[in-house]
Formats: sequence, C-alpha cells, structure tokens
Amino acid sequence: MTVLPWLVALWLFAIGIYGIITSRHYVHLIGCLGVVQSSTYVFLLSAGYRWGAGAPIFYDHPPGTPAVDPVVQALVLTDIVVGATVTALLLALVLQVHKRRGTVDPEKLQPMRR
Amino acid sequence: MTALLPPFPVVLPLVAAALLLLVGRLLPWRLPDLIATFAALTMLVIDGAMVLGSAPAPLVYWFGNWPPRGDLVLGIGFVVGQADAAVAALIALLFAASFVFAWGYFEDIRAFFHVLMLLFLAAMQGFSLTHDLFNLFVWFEVMSVTAFALTAYRLEASSLEGALNFTVTNSLASFLMLAGIGLLYLRAGTLDFGALAQSLAGTPRDPVAIGAFAVLAAALLIKGAMVPFQFWLADAHAVAPSPVSVIFSGAMVPLGIFGLAKLYWEVFAPMPAIGTVMRSLLLGMGAASAIIGGFACLRQRHMKRLLAFSTISHVGLMLSAVALLTPRGLGGMLAYLMGHALVKGALFMIAGILLARLGGIDEIGLRGHGGGIWPAGLALALAGLLLGGAPVGLLDEGTRLIDTAANEAGNEWFLPAIVLGTACTGGAVLRAAGRIFLGWGERSGEEERGPSEEETEKSGRPLWLMMLPVAVLLALALASGTDGASRFAVAAAARFIAWDGGASLGHLAAPPAVPDVPPSHPFIPWLTIGLTLMIAAHDLGRSRLPRLWLALSDRALAPLFVVVDRLHNGLVGDYVAWIAVGLALFSLSFAAVGG
Repeated sequence: MTVLPWLVALWLFAIGIYGIITSRHYVHLIGCLGVVQSSTYVFLLSAGYRWGAGAPIFYDHPPGTPAVDPVVQALVLTDIVVGATVTALLLALVLQVHKRRGTVDPEKLQPMRR
Repeated sequence: MTALLPPFPVVLPLVAAALLLLVGRLLPWRLPDLIATFAALTMLVIDGAMVLGSAPAPLVYWFGNWPPRGDLVLGIGFVVGQADAAVAALIALLFAASFVFAWGYFEDIRAFFHVLMLLFLAAMQGFSLTHDLFNLFVWFEVMSVTAFALTAYRLEASSLEGALNFTVTNSLASFLMLAGIGLLYLRAGTLDFGALAQSLAGTPRDPVAIGAFAVLAAALLIKGAMVPFQFWLADAHAVAPSPVSVIFSGAMVPLGIFGLAKLYWEVFAPMPAIGTVMRSLLLGMGAASAIIGGFACLRQRHMKRLLAFSTISHVGLMLSAVALLTPRGLGGMLAYLMGHALVKGALFMIAGILLARLGGIDEIGLRGHGGGIWPAGLALALAGLLLGGAPVGLLDEGTRLIDTAANEAGNEWFLPAIVLGTACTGGAVLRAAGRIFLGWGERSGEEERGPSEEETEKSGRPLWLMMLPVAVLLALALASGTDGASRFAVAAAARFIAWDGGASLGHLAAPPAVPDVPPSHPFIPWLTIGLTLMIAAHDLGRSRLPRLWLALSDRALAPLFVVVDRLHNGLVGDYVAWIAVGLALFSLSFAAVGG
C-alpha cells in the first residue's frame, strides 16, 4: 500500500473544487464536478486494493484465493451510474438555460437578481 | 406480522411509480392523482403500524434473508425503531397532503410529476429506515436526483438557475458522503451501523474514523442547509413548484439532521472526540443558522424565499437540539421536526394558493389583494403564530423539551439565538399576512430591496381543495401539542439511542430513564411570541412610527442585512467556496480536539 493513490485522490478533489469555484462556463463547471467525483473513485478503489491479489471472481479459483475487495468496486460502480445521471441532468439544465438566457456563464446567471 | 412490514414503505411507491410511468399516458382524467394519494396514505398506515409494532423492540428486516452470522454482517438490513417509523409516517402524511394540494396542478405533464414524487417518497422512506451506510448513500442520491428534477420542473430561467445551484452543491455532498463511507469501510470492513459501532468501540480514538465522521457530517449538513453550507436552499426552494417546496422544507432538509442523529447515535457514539465536536462546533452551527436564517427571512418580500430562509432558522434549532447529545434533546428535536413539517408544509401551500389565486407571490405587490381568499389569510396568520413560538401545538412542545434539555446539558447559551431566530421568522410571516390580507404596512422597510420576480402557478383549482390539506396539517400541529406527544417523543428518542444501533446484531441495551420535569424557563414561549408580535407590528406600522426611530433602527440594521444579502448572491462558485471553508472548519476543530 503506497500513499500515491491517496495523494492523487486529494489532488483531484482539490483541483476539481478550485475549477468549480473559478469556472466561467457551466459545461466546464460540470466537467470539474466530474473531476471531484473521480477523486472518490480513485480513493475507493485504492482502499479495496490488495497487492498480488486477483479479481474477485471465483468461477475458476477455489474460494479463499486472495482477491481485491469486491464491495468497494460495487460502491464505485453504483456511484458511476449516479454520476452519469447527475451529469446528464445537469447538461440538460444547462442546455435549457442557454436557450432561455443565451449565456452559460455562472456569473451572469443568478436566480432572482434581475 | 409487523416483522414483514419494513420493506413495504420503499417497495410500494417504487412499484406505483413504475406502473404510473408505464401506463400514465393511458390513464384518464385524475387517476394518477388518485393513485399517488392512495399510495402515500397506504404508506402512512404501514408506517403507523410500524410505530405501534416497534414499541417492544425495533423491527429488523434483512433483505434477501441474509442475517448476520455471529458478528459478521454481509446483508443489508432495515432496522425500524419508533423514532424512524414516526419520521417515515410524517413524511408519508406530508406527501399525501401535497398530492391533494397539487390535484390537477400538473395535468400538462400527465403522470411524470407523480412518478418523480413517488420515487422521492421511496427514497426518503429508505433513508429513514435503513441500517446500512451504503444503502443510506443510495437513498440520499435517489432523493437528491429526484429533487433536482422536481426543482427544475417549470423550465424557466430562474428555476433552472436555482436547480443548477442545488444540483452542484448537493452533488458535492454526495461525493463527500461516498468518501466518508470509503474511509469508514477502510477502517472497519463493514457497512452495517451496528457492526461499525462495535468496530469503532474497539478503537475510540482512531483518526481515520474521525475524518470519516467529518466528511459524512459535512455531507449531511449540506443537505440540512446549515451555515456555512446553507446557500443553495433559498435559491432552490424559492423556485421549485409549491407542492414540491412543501416536501423540501418539511421533510428533505430536516432529514439531513435526522440522518446526522442516526449516524452519531448508531455508529459514532463510542468516540469521545466526536461527542466533543458535536457539543461545541455543531451546536454553534445550529445557533448561527437559527440567527442568520431569521435575519435573512425578515429581509425578503418573495414569500417562498422568505419561507426558505425560515427553514434554515428552524432546522438550525433542530441541529442544536441533536448536538446536545441527550435523549431529551433528541426527543425535543423529533417533536420539533414533526411540528415544523406540519406548519411549514401548510405555509408553502398557502404560498401556492397565493400563486394560483392572486397570480403573484410578492408580499409588497400583493398588499391588500387577499380579501377574496380570506380563509388562506386566517391560516397564514395562525401558521405565523405557531412558527413564531405561540405556546400551543407541537412546535411549542418541542421547544420546551429543547429548553429543558439545554438546561440539563449546561448549554443554555444558545437559547437566546433560538428565541431571536424564531421571533424573526414568525414576525416575517405575520408581516406578510397583515400586508397581503389586511392591506397594512403601506410603508415597507428593508424587505423592499429583497429579490423578487413575477411568478404564477396553474390557476383554476378550487380554493376549498387547496385549503383542505392546509387545514388538516394545521389542525394536526395544534391537536398534537399535548404532554402525551412530548412524552412519546422523549421515550422514542431514548429507545432510538439504546436500541437502534445494536439491533442488527441483536444487542438491545436498556433505554435510559428520562424523568418528566417541567420546562426550565416557562417564560421562553411567551418571550418569543411577544418578540414575534413586536417585530410584525413594527414592520407593519412603519408609517405610524417616529421618523427618527426608523432612521436610527434602519441605519443600525442595514449593514447586517446587506452582508447577509450579499452572501446569498446566487453564484454557485461562491457557494462551493463556502463549502470548502466549512470543510476546513471541520478539519481544524477535529485537529484541535485531537482525536
């Protein structure tokens, strides 16, 4: 177990948050949100990783063979599905915003500020 | 028999939603309304049966029949104690009321509204009943995604922008939650609350587990809209359709705090450092939210935005009550949560009536226009009084319990924050009632500069049908304000603390005895309602007050209002920056406590 995956996850989280805070384009902002989300994938997968272990499939291995933790992989898979839903919804919202306001710059879009 | 009930509150709405999605187009007339209302009422009955059935011991249900072997938990379980079932029943009731209120509102989009709402309902039920951390996350996500879609329903500029802010901030919350789950799993290798607590009890000073709590709590407090994570709430609640705002304010946001209570008592209670931070930082966050929400509420003229800020204030009170970490405090929070949901649900429905019947929601623009719908005015005044701390009803029982619990825990310092926050929100609602329905308050104060916009909702719905759920909710809020209700809340809280965590492994501790004591400061409700009436009278009677006094008071208060207003500027980047600040605050305070 090395610290490298932790550092990668932390870096992705921080850089994604920085991107969201400074973004001037909603599509870019949604991309940054995806970067933040990837940090959780990296973190979870490395949390369940075992050196020298195989995939958690025991079809042709006897039970008890070392394998990486399947639970975190299930967590990541679920989160990828959710992430896809949220991204699709966000992009649809941004398209609608662009239709109505002609801009996708968060600085120019403020609810009830006109 | 009751042992088989726990999955139904989740399965039933999911099946109903799938059926409506499948055949919703073919169904004639108002059948989707009828089916959705019926589903919500059925769940109210099931949840009610579980409240009764879980009195001797919590109901434990293992999905797919995977009970634990010894201390090894592989399955996903629902553990339903009285508190969980009562919260779930309240949510079902609120949905039923909201479906009746929305009767015919959404006929343009046929059954899609009902499909989303039923999914939303299933997610909230699952969130209240589950005993598995990842399952909690899944319901949290389903709740969020349906809420995002419901907020943006009108597809108008401001609802889209509100929904975008809501989606970005709350997605961050779910990423944080997932990271916290990963940390905890890394340490304990299990996801069941009971097994997690058992594992943490062996290493009560573990820094990884403390870090996990910090991110999980931040995620739930974003959902619970606590300072400095509260910014998304006003944008989202103000633009969502009013039947949806009823659910947001009444159930979704308080569920964040209930989730935090669940996590603390069922998982993290063995860790002393976390208790210390709860009693200091989170108590303070609750008090700060109560005050900031109250001040911001006074400055609004857009009724739904006004109510949204009042939600921040009242949920702050709930957080403070949980953070006392005593059974009585938790009982007070439960009673307050129920009372708040009933009153706030009714208030958002009244805002919806204004939108549908008067074609507007701007308090100043509607001045004196409310004569034709006077029953709504009466209800608004009554709800304002209840919200402002009138010494009747369930909200008042909750406040008294919290007052006593604060006294017992030696943390009375936050009570003034609660009195002030409550009085501001009640005063603002009463001001709106006086202005819209009586035409008082011709000279407006600071609220004139609050943001507002033209808005209407589908008209042509009969007034009696919209008033019916309002009347039922308010009557319940009044009628349930009895000693029996507060005794039940405290007993349910004591059992929740003693039983819910270990129930999955079959460990049931003896519930702590909580003696019945009179409230420590019986004058607090009177003080609060007095202050509420004073604020309302001051704002409505501006034209009769001496000019010098107005000039002085406005000059003194203006900077405060301006700061609160500038912070809620609608910029999603700023909101996320505040989330980062809040996370830093959490890390620092845990570092200071030192594990």
